[in-house]
Order: sequence, then C-alpha cells, then structure tokens
Amino acid sequence: MRRMFLRRAGLALLLMLAATALTFALVTAAPGNVAALIAERAAGPGADGEMIARIADELGLNDPLPVRYVRWLGDTFTGDFGVSLRTGKPISEEFAERIPVTATLLAGGGMLALFYSLGLGLWGATSNGRFADRILHGIALIGASTPNFFVAALLVIVFAVGLGWIPSFGLYGWTSWILPCVTIALFPGSVLARVVRVNLQEAMARPFATTGFAKGMNRGEVLVREALPNIAIPYITTFGAQFTLMIIGAIVVERLFGLNGIGAFFIEAIRFRDFVGMQAVLTLFVVFFVSVNLFVDLVAMLVDPRLRRARRA
Amino acid sequence: MPKLSRRQVMASSAAFSFLSTLPHIALAGGHGDTLRVAIAGETGDLDLLQNVSTLSSYTVVFDGLIHYGPGGVLEPGLATAWTIAEDGKSIAFDLREGVTFSDGAPFDAETAKWNLERWMGVGDFSWIGIADAYESIETSGPNQITVRLSRPVPAALLELTIVRPVRFLSPNAVDADGKQASPVGTGPWIVESYSSSETVLTRNDNYWGERPSFSRIELKVVPDELARANALRAGELDVIGGDWVAPLSPRRAKALEGEGMTIVAEPGTATTILGYSPKSPMMQNRGVREAVFLGIDRAAIAQVLFEGFADPSVDIFPTTVPTAGVRHAVPARDVAAAQAALSAAGWSGGGSGWTKGGDALEIDFLVSEESFPGSRRIAEMIQAMLTEVGFKVDISSVDNATMHERRPNFEYDLTFFATYGAPYDPHGSLGASFVSTVDTGPDGKIYISDELDPVVLAALEASGDAQEAAMQGVYDWLYDAVAACPLLVTQRIWAVHPRVQGFSLPATDYDIPYKGLTLG
Repeated sequence: MRRMFLRRAGLALLLMLAATALTFALVTAAPGNVAALIAERAAGPGADGEMIARIADELGLNDPLPVRYVRWLGDTFTGDFGVSLRTGKPISEEFAERIPVTATLLAGGGMLALFYSLGLGLWGATSNGRFADRILHGIALIGASTPNFFVAALLVIVFAVGLGWIPSFGLYGWTSWILPCVTIALFPGSVLARVVRVNLQEAMARPFATTGFAKGMNRGEVLVREALPNIAIPYITTFGAQFTLMIIGAIVVERLFGLNGIGAFFIEAIRFRDFVGMQAVLTLFVVFFVSVNLFVDLVAMLVDPRLRRARRA
Repeated sequence: MPKLSRRQVMASSAAFSFLSTLPHIALAGGHGDTLRVAIAGETGDLDLLQNVSTLSSYTVVFDGLIHYGPGGVLEPGLATAWTIAEDGKSIAFDLREGVTFSDGAPFDAETAKWNLERWMGVGDFSWIGIADAYESIETSGPNQITVRLSRPVPAALLELTIVRPVRFLSPNAVDADGKQASPVGTGPWIVESYSSSETVLTRNDNYWGERPSFSRIELKVVPDELARANALRAGELDVIGGDWVAPLSPRRAKALEGEGMTIVAEPGTATTILGYSPKSPMMQNRGVREAVFLGIDRAAIAQVLFEGFADPSVDIFPTTVPTAGVRHAVPARDVAAAQAALSAAGWSGGGSGWTKGGDALEIDFLVSEESFPGSRRIAEMIQAMLTEVGFKVDISSVDNATMHERRPNFEYDLTFFATYGAPYDPHGSLGASFVSTVDTGPDGKIYISDELDPVVLAALEASGDAQEAAMQGVYDWLYDAVAACPLLVTQRIWAVHPRVQGFSLPATDYDIPYKGLTLG
C-alpha cells in the first residue's frame, strides 16, 4: 500500500510538472506584453518604448522559454509566486487572503452536493418508478442543465431582493454562504443524484439484494444496508471528478456573489492580463486537480480491497 | 385531522426558529450613518506614485492644491490663491492656513514642497507638463510656495487637479525608503481599513472644508454589474454607478428606474470617437472618411443602444470640458450624400459592390469588447449602416491585449477611441492622441499627421486669451479634414437607493459622490 501510494504520488508530481509547463507556455504565448503592463503600472501614461524594453531586459523576458520556466519553477518551489501586476501585492499574500474563501465555498458546496445527491438518489430509489421518482428525476435533470449564473440570479432575486433573508453579496456572517454554496452545489449534486439513483437501481437487481429481501428486509433496509455500500466506488470517483470541477463553478459564483476568493482573482487577472497572477492561479488549480484525484484514488483503494489487489497484480 | 409525530413537531419548530432569524441576520450591522457605495474593484493602498490603485478613491482622502469644479472651473483646494508670472515660468501659491493631515501633521510650505518634489522633475512623471518643465520650488514663509519652470506650461493649473500623483500625503506616512506606507491625506475622509472586499472610510472631523452629514462610507467591492443592481434593490447598497467607480449600463439603469430607484444621469465628459487609421491606404481617401462620417446614424445608436443615455456629437470634446470649442451640428444620416462622397472620390458602385481601380470598398473594423464594453454592439450597428452605403465591413473582435498591440501599430481601418474626460481634457487627449511625436504606448493615436502636429502643439502651448482660438484651430482642422469620426458622448449614470437624499454628481467621473448627501 505504501509503495503504491509513493508510486501514485510520484506520478502526480510528474503530471503537475507537465501541466505547469503547458500552462506556462500557454500564458506566455497569450497576446499582451508583461513589460508594458509593468511600465504602465509604474509610470502610467509616461510608459514609453525605452522603459518597456528596460523592464523586459531586467525581468529576463527576452530569455528562451525553457530558461524562464525553470527560473519560475525554482521561485515557485520556494513559495515565491511573484507580484500581481494588477494589485501590486505579492501573490502569496493574495492567496493567504483568498484561499480560505474559496476553500470554504468548495467545502460547503461539496457537503451540500453530498447530502443532496444521496438524499435525492435514495428517495428516488425507494419510490422506484412511482410519481415521486419521476419528479425527483425531473428535479435532478433541471439541476444538471441550469447554468449557475442563472441559478445565482434566481436565488438572489427570491431570497435577497424579494424576501430580504440573505445578503446578496459579500461575507456578512454564515448566512452569506448559503446562496453561493447552493449555487455551486446544484449541478454536481444533480449529476451525483443520477449516479446514485442509476447505480442503486442496478444494485437492487443483483443477487445480494434478493438475498436481503429473502432475509425479510424491507426495500429501504436493502437499499441502505446492501445496495448503498456497493455503489461507493462509482460514487466516490464521480464525486471526486465533480468536486474538482466545482473550482470552475467557483470562478463564476465568486464574482456573482462578490466573494473575493481565488476564482474572482483569476477572472480579474485574465481581464487585466496579470500574467503572473494567471500563472499562479493555474498552478494552484493544477495542484488542486491532481491532489483531489490522488486522494480519491487512495480512498477508493482503501474502500475496495479488489482495487488494491488489481493494482498489485 | 392529520396527526403530527413528536419528531415532526420538533423539526417544524426548529425550521421556523431558523427562518425567523434570517431577516435579522441579513440586516445585521445597521447602516443608518453609513453610506454604502459599490466599487467594481478593490481600492488598493492608494499609493500616490503608483499606477495601481483604483482612481476613484483618491479624491475623498487626498486634497490637491486646486480642485476641479463643475465645467472645469478651478476651485481653491489646499491653495487659496495662485498667481502665474507674466513669462509663465513660475506659479506662486498661497497655501490654506490651519490645515492638518488626518494624523495630526501640519500642512505647510515645507510639507507641500516635500510632496511636490516626490514627482516633479522625476522621469516617470514627465508626461505631466509641469513635472517635465520643473526647475525648483521655493518657500516664502510658512504658507507660500513658488514653483519655477523651465518653460511656460499653459495647462499647469489643470494638471494640478488630476487624480495622482499631485495630491498631498502626510510626511509621516512614508517608510525609511520614502515609499508611501499608508494613505494619510488632508481630505474629508480617513481610510480606516481596506481589503479585497471593502474599504472603510471614516469622517475626518478636522477637515478644513464642509463636513459630510454622515460619519462613515463603506466602499463595497462588487465586480458584477447585475450583483450590484440586485444589492441596490435589496437595500444592501446605497449608490452604484460611475464609469470609474462601478459602471451601470443604460439598460440596467432603465430597469432600476422602474423599480423605484433614483437614476441620476448627466452629460458626460468623454467622447466616443471612431478613429480612421492614418496608415491605412483606404482611410487616407477623404471620400471614404466622409462616407463613413455621413453614413452613421448617431441618434439611433444613442437611442437604441444607450436607451437615450448618450448624446450624439461630431465634436472632439463635449461642452462639459473647458475650451471645447464651437459646436458643429450633428448631421442626419444621409446614405445618398455618403455615396456621393464615394463617387466624387473615384469609387463606383455596381452589382458586386463599390470598387476603385480594382480594389473593393472593404474595411477592417477593430473592436475589443474587453477594452471598451458595449463596443461590439455599436460596431455591429455601424456595420449594418455602412453596408447600406456600400461598404463591406469586417469586424475584428479581439481581446484587450491584442487591441493594445494592434492599435498603436495602426493595424486597422476603423477602431474605437475615447477621450480621457475631465479633469484631463482637453490637453490630455490632444497631447496623447493627436501628436505624432508623443509616445503613448499601447493607447494608440486617434489621428496624426505632419500637418496636424504644429496645429496641436501650438494649441497646447497657447495660454491666456490665445488659448481658446488655438484650440478652436485644432477642432476646425480635424473637422474640415474629416480626420476623426466622433460618435457620441455617453452620459454619467448613477442609481441611488431611496434612503439617500440630495444626490448630485461630482465634477468628474473619478470622484465618489458624497457631498450634500443625507441618509434616511
């Protein structure tokens, strides 16, 4: 198990290196001139060609791409992500301020998606084929097909503007998290609800479910005790994939609800061609994606001994 | 009658208790004495020498020697009077007595000199005429300074009203390297705190001018326009709007007006201009420029795309800017006249479109929605209008960075520009956008030519009574040569919650409105 973990961690590290090299190349190839932006920040309308050339030289922007990547990588490993071209603050300071916001949003959204999907999926499975099952199917379908900006606007109009119960933006106590978390959880929760429902349906047709009924269990008991543990692997892997994708949702949701997290910082970095900020956030995203997937793989192996044996073989 | 189990009763009670607390939670932290203003991006540290922080927040914290009043009238700020020498090479300022910075440090001739020397004569600020021509500053007593210049700078007083770096910082608010450590000024508001979410300002009770009627301003960072509008509707914000504060689109303003919010719209100070590339062979043809000029229905654009919150114009500057010149009548769209201009220039129409010497009448229209929000829709409307005239218009829709690369290299036939607006104009835009020898980096030029350069330079150097005539000379030259195609002046739009009374717009779009307001 330990060797397997080390091998997986090594592969994850290689993947991160490849992904950061790719994003570095893409960000560098994007239109725009970092030196011009820095010059403009320092001198406003006084930025001229000579000043831009001097800054480019000082920053080594004329060096070959591999040299620049290795230099950037070295700085990043020491925790130096550079200084944001937009805000003028070190990226590490920006991250320290913003990561807790995004982490809370993802954690809240993840928890909601977990409960929502299990609740909806189980309820649908217990009312198999009946009216409630069809209604729940419809709810999940709508949730999985509605864009989050629309959901956000709808929730704000009803709960903030109409009822005045919840703040429409910013962070003013725990109620501020309700609407953003619901918005970000709706899509993955709905997808996961379908995963639960469909897999439970299949599991209920398996011999162990029949055995459960033969033992005198009712449908609910068979679902929870026999079928549910058997859908753990597809659920965990899908949950991992959906959870990583929630970071994409966070980019939109943070802006809509005025939350100053990593997503909002990323959007502004793109708008202002803050290449340093963009590269740092993309690196963070890469680390997040790879780490979550590694964690999900490990959890799946811990949960299912068959996977451990298969990997060993 | 349905029976309820004990568990159901407990759950219902818990849910009811939870819901009943929500309104109190949402409205917690009362706002009676606080003005809540939306800002699209965080204010930053308000460093006066760095081009990073949001422009709109400086003016409430820092004062300059001179304030920019409505219509460009120069009003006393930290200077109560000023005298320009006959040769234009020195300006003497009488400083306001008894003024202190919000940290208690006195404002006097020495602190004024120290502040001005931080940017005057410094290369990074050579784009400001008075900084470029700076020679020395002399103090005469505790409340008088004289700035000596190597040459006359006619726009010197106007330059002292711009947002930064001309305002005054407490000498105690710098670190050992002389870098600004905290934003401490003499203005009506003091920065209590700032973060990426909000900046909190408290009233400066020792302010030398009129004291605001409320004690606190919260500048809330809300990047999304719809979120700002919803927060205003929900009563979580009091004021939204302003191009440099938290832009409000005309369509959204109309919607808010119908929902009981007060909409305040006044003529703007910046003109949206269609620039013809001076390097494009096609646009060097006067007939083509005339056809574009006459083929556009400015009134329709103002009405349809701006919901009436824009004023059609064919002048470089609106009347809200000083020495904006004599007005020219906005022509009605005239397709026949546009086609006649093309014919007179040697173009001939036919079944396969207009041609001249085998060249098709095809123009490249460079547009960046990112650098000029709303421009894509304007471009599409203009495309339809010019197609009727006989043009084939190709819209190149690019991102901000590409726009900033292509525009200075004149890689377009047509593209959008906007003048800087108050307090920078007319000198700011004329110097940056119409003089070929001034390097303005990524902003590009509206129009440049060897013939135009001396006309503009003469206007920029003219002072006193000669200035107005010299400026008019530039406007007439541009108009007669059809060198640019002004379209409209967008209005300054703000939306205000009913609890705010006495709202009026400040002189420029770089100011946050607070003067004369009372909160209900």
